[in-house]
Amino acid sequence: MSEWLDSAIARAQGIDDWLAPKRAHALDLLAKTSWPTRKTEAWRYTPLRPVERSTAKAITDTVTLLPTAIADFSAIELVFANGRFDASQLESNLPEGLSVSLGRDLTEAEQSAALGVFSTIKPERHIFGLVNDALAEDVLVVSVAEGVQIDQPIRISSLLSEGAESHTRVQVNLAAGSSLTVIEDVQSHGDSLLTAFVEYQVAANAILEHYRFALQTGNNIAIGGSHFNLLDHAKMHSTIVGFGSDLSRLDTDIIHAGKYADAKLNAMYLLDGKELFDLHATVEHASPNGTTEENVRCIVADRARAVFNGRIHIHPDAQKTLAELNNRNLLLSDKAEINTKPELEIYADDVKCAHGATVAQIDKQALYYLQTRGVSRARAQVMLNFGFINELIDLMPNAALAEWVRPMIRERFLQMEVN
Amino acid sequence: MTEQIDKALAREYEAGFVSDVESETFAPGLDEDVIRRISAMKGEPEWMLEWRLSAFREWLEMEEPDWALVDYPKVDFQAISYYSAPKSMKDKPKSLDEVDPELLRTYEKLGIPLIEQQMLAGIAVDAVFDSVSVVTTFREKLEEAGVIFCPISEAIHKHPDLVKKYIGSVVPKKDNYYAALNCAVFTDGSFVYIPKGTRCPMELSTYFRINEQNTGQFERTLIIADEGSHVSYLEGCTAPQRDENQLHAAVVELVAMDNAEIKYSTVQNWYPGDENGKGGIYNFVTKRGICHTSAKISWTQVETGSSVTWKYPSCILKGDNSVGEFYSVALTRGRQQADTGTKMIHLGKNTKSTIITKGISAGRSNNSYRGLVRMNPGAHGARNFTQCDSLLIGDQCGAHTFPYVESRNPSAIIEHEATTSKVSDEQMFLCRQRGLDPEKAVSMIVNGFCKEVFKELPMEFAVEAGKLLEISLEGSVG
Repeated sequence: MSEWLDSAIARAQGIDDWLAPKRAHALDLLAKTSWPTRKTEAWRYTPLRPVERSTAKAITDTVTLLPTAIADFSAIELVFANGRFDASQLESNLPEGLSVSLGRDLTEAEQSAALGVFSTIKPERHIFGLVNDALAEDVLVVSVAEGVQIDQPIRISSLLSEGAESHTRVQVNLAAGSSLTVIEDVQSHGDSLLTAFVEYQVAANAILEHYRFALQTGNNIAIGGSHFNLLDHAKMHSTIVGFGSDLSRLDTDIIHAGKYADAKLNAMYLLDGKELFDLHATVEHASPNGTTEENVRCIVADRARAVFNGRIHIHPDAQKTLAELNNRNLLLSDKAEINTKPELEIYADDVKCAHGATVAQIDKQALYYLQTRGVSRARAQVMLNFGFINELIDLMPNAALAEWVRPMIRERFLQMEVN
Repeated sequence: MTEQIDKALAREYEAGFVSDVESETFAPGLDEDVIRRISAMKGEPEWMLEWRLSAFREWLEMEEPDWALVDYPKVDFQAISYYSAPKSMKDKPKSLDEVDPELLRTYEKLGIPLIEQQMLAGIAVDAVFDSVSVVTTFREKLEEAGVIFCPISEAIHKHPDLVKKYIGSVVPKKDNYYAALNCAVFTDGSFVYIPKGTRCPMELSTYFRINEQNTGQFERTLIIADEGSHVSYLEGCTAPQRDENQLHAAVVELVAMDNAEIKYSTVQNWYPGDENGKGGIYNFVTKRGICHTSAKISWTQVETGSSVTWKYPSCILKGDNSVGEFYSVALTRGRQQADTGTKMIHLGKNTKSTIITKGISAGRSNNSYRGLVRMNPGAHGARNFTQCDSLLIGDQCGAHTFPYVESRNPSAIIEHEATTSKVSDEQMFLCRQRGLDPEKAVSMIVNGFCKEVFKELPMEFAVEAGKLLEISLEGSVG
């Protein structure tokens, strides 16, 4: 057991609100769960020492933190500052059919609906998911009414000041035939600790465009998850861009609960220094005729470590599923490390599933070619690295976001210490 | 002090030895006494007994692994008898007439000669076999080449230095739960030593040792290929073997010195249990080889038997330029469960490994590939290619892939691919169009699916393996 966990449990016991039954359940499970070690499969390559050492504390003073501005881009801003939802930054005139409110402000009927789906998408949650269940106080519920297309994206920002520990939690419900774009953004400073989970219920024929940016670096800890439940003919397109930190862990879970659902996931992470980034992407095909396409690319420099676990699970009834996972990794340094595990678990016969994983360094011939054209070696490295990632940036449906991310990635490549 | 202990141990020996030499089988149960008695039965030297006992003490502290995707009633290790002498003639079936006709039909389909049928069915084969025995001729030929090929119990006496040096050097005593158990209680197995620069004049097969085959459920094999030598070793056979032991926990260790090459082929077709999976063999095997500079180890396996398989033949590529290969066909049907794969640990520079696996699941079975490719920091220029293909026949079976890929060297290249699909309707249609019945069509398609692996098997083995697959798939189609 860790001191941090003991303290989290103690703090959770003092909270009494509409989520009480869920919190009690999470605490129950926590009592039965042991602190992950190297022998815990889900944390095999991700040591939790940074959490054990962290000095981050919950901050109760209200502070105003502003999300980064993005050129040519305006979103409905949902801002969490040190775990507290900052309602003052939410625009007052929300588009018709979109509702945003704190769980505690919902009517009893709405609360019971929210409770009904709370923490249901991923039944076996890891220890930090449970801590989030128990400790996230300002739980936000975002709903889009049936058939409504919301054009303006919403951005959920989890912002942390130095030394802060916070837990954010959002539930997003897309009713049948609706559509929405959601950006999850994390920005933290200094020695901080964040758990941030968002659960998406995507009803029949609804369309979700999703982004998660984990661009914080340094000695902070960010553990989070995006969980998606897709009903009949639902569609989702998700893009994840991550830089590492002392400990960055993200669990993406996509459940094909309805038939003919379609999921696309493009993830890229670029690690430098002593950073660690761990992406666990799980896709559960529980119904027939679903399709999944995943592209995960990773570049690791210096002493950084990358972890990827890509699991595709086809349940017995999920006939006619098409699922593909492609994982490509580049190692730039002798001290860098990549651990990847693409898994297939298949219980239906009429399916087509494939995964591929490669680990290598930049193609020497390509490097040589550029050098013969007068490009310096260092610059050629950056060009090739950038090209490797740029293919996925090009697939981002939102051009403004792509243009925002591209220079940041270029900057990072320039900084990466290349041997 | 040591003297006293030695004396004490010796006393227990005597007691155990005398009282048990007449009985054929030890009473069920496992404790240090049982191990002392096994060792005494074999007349083993002191160091061997000590080695067994220390393994046993380690084992007591260990836990049974539960990470594999297999589900079976736990083994009661105290309910097993750890030594049974060869059955006496009177207990065995007298002729093929007394043998299960189903078994005989399989033998016939596989085209196994009558004399071998009798051996496999466990019939009391008398001097007739020995007098015509090819074994003797083979032995002479091997001796001429300086090759040692004998039961490991014999090697412990005749070549103690070699055994002492290498046993447990590739699979350490406490490597895993079943390996530790094997160290403590192994009864027999094969020992092979190929001298420097020697190419073993023939393929070594457990067939040749068939008259000494009662190696029991805890088999131990040690193969040492000295510098620049070459050996091909065949284990098992395609025919379903009669076996009373449910738990098999074998250990195989291969040592390939500089420039040596070991090719190890296995065909495993033990009893898979009835349609509910009852009574089948548990096959929990640890197989590992170490390659020194420019050495090569190639594992080829065709796994069709056993109710539960837990097996990961592996290569430690220690020397620069060494090569590891793993080719596998695993077919599960009925209620069989197989969790099998390999580990390739790249330590040396320019080491290369290739993994090709073909999993076929039918009936209500589950078939998993579990593998590890690790590039350590020193593995400059190392290369791995992995391809895992799974074929599903029927909608109640499962096919799974769990590859672990770990790289700590930027100049190493790893490629992993896996696909899962069923026999395609187009392929079936094409075959049916040409007049093949569905069963024949599936067997042909499956054979094609496995071709990459079969071509790695010694020829006669490959032919048998193809037939074996065909027979195993009977009734799985439609």
